[in-house]
Amino acid sequence: MDPIDQNALTEAINRLWAQFLPQMRGRVDTLETAAAAFAANKLSSAQQVQANDAAHKLAGALGSFGLTKGTVLARELEIMYSRESGPDSALAARLGQIAAELRTLIENRK
Amino acid sequence: MEVFPGVAHRILIIDDEDDIREVAALSLESVAGWEVVTANSGAQGLARAVEFRPDAILLDVMMPGMDGPTTFRELRKNPATARIPVLLLTAKVQSTDQRRFADLGVEAVLFKPFDPLTLSSQIAGVLGWN
Repeated sequence: MDPIDQNALTEAINRLWAQFLPQMRGRVDTLETAAAAFAANKLSSAQQVQANDAAHKLAGALGSFGLTKGTVLARELEIMYSRESGPDSALAARLGQIAAELRTLIENRK
Repeated sequence: MEVFPGVAHRILIIDDEDDIREVAALSLESVAGWEVVTANSGAQGLARAVEFRPDAILLDVMMPGMDGPTTFRELRKNPATARIPVLLLTAKVQSTDQRRFADLGVEAVLFKPFDPLTLSSQIAGVLGWN
């Protein structure tokens, strides 16, 4: 492929974003489900691993699509879910809050 | 935006996450004009490295099955791929992880998320292709 200008690259990245949006939404679904389970004191170890994985993948990807704040938020969740003993119970509300913020960021990306 | 006209380097991207793979490939092809081949696992990456003989390999750390460090060691064992520069790509930002990865003997450790506009210049800088 011949080198392209910045506008063409941005357009191409936007097309990739549209292609992978369902995958991003699925990762946020996982985080919302885990946050709700944790708030109800029902977070299984499998759900914790899935949430950690979803947060890790979002942290690694969102910034490349221009959502730097999304990477910061997802990284915060990754740290919380990566604790062997599970997230700190005092942070239950924060888990849900971050998942909701991620949802908003993803749905509102231009 | 930095472009490298006339130098069509060959890059192999090994990453199990298709969104990362696609953005990285788009970035390297479109910004730098490099030739890119991708693999979605360590095992596939080993085979592609032998077939494609890339000038460098961009290798994800966390992959199911054969992870990045294991894939790197396998690349080094094979005389056909032992001398290909490898750059690790990771979303792990903790300093202990960074030291562990650097100790493997890779050319560099790059971090996710990367900027698609500057990924190629980062790689070129590390490998002295500028």
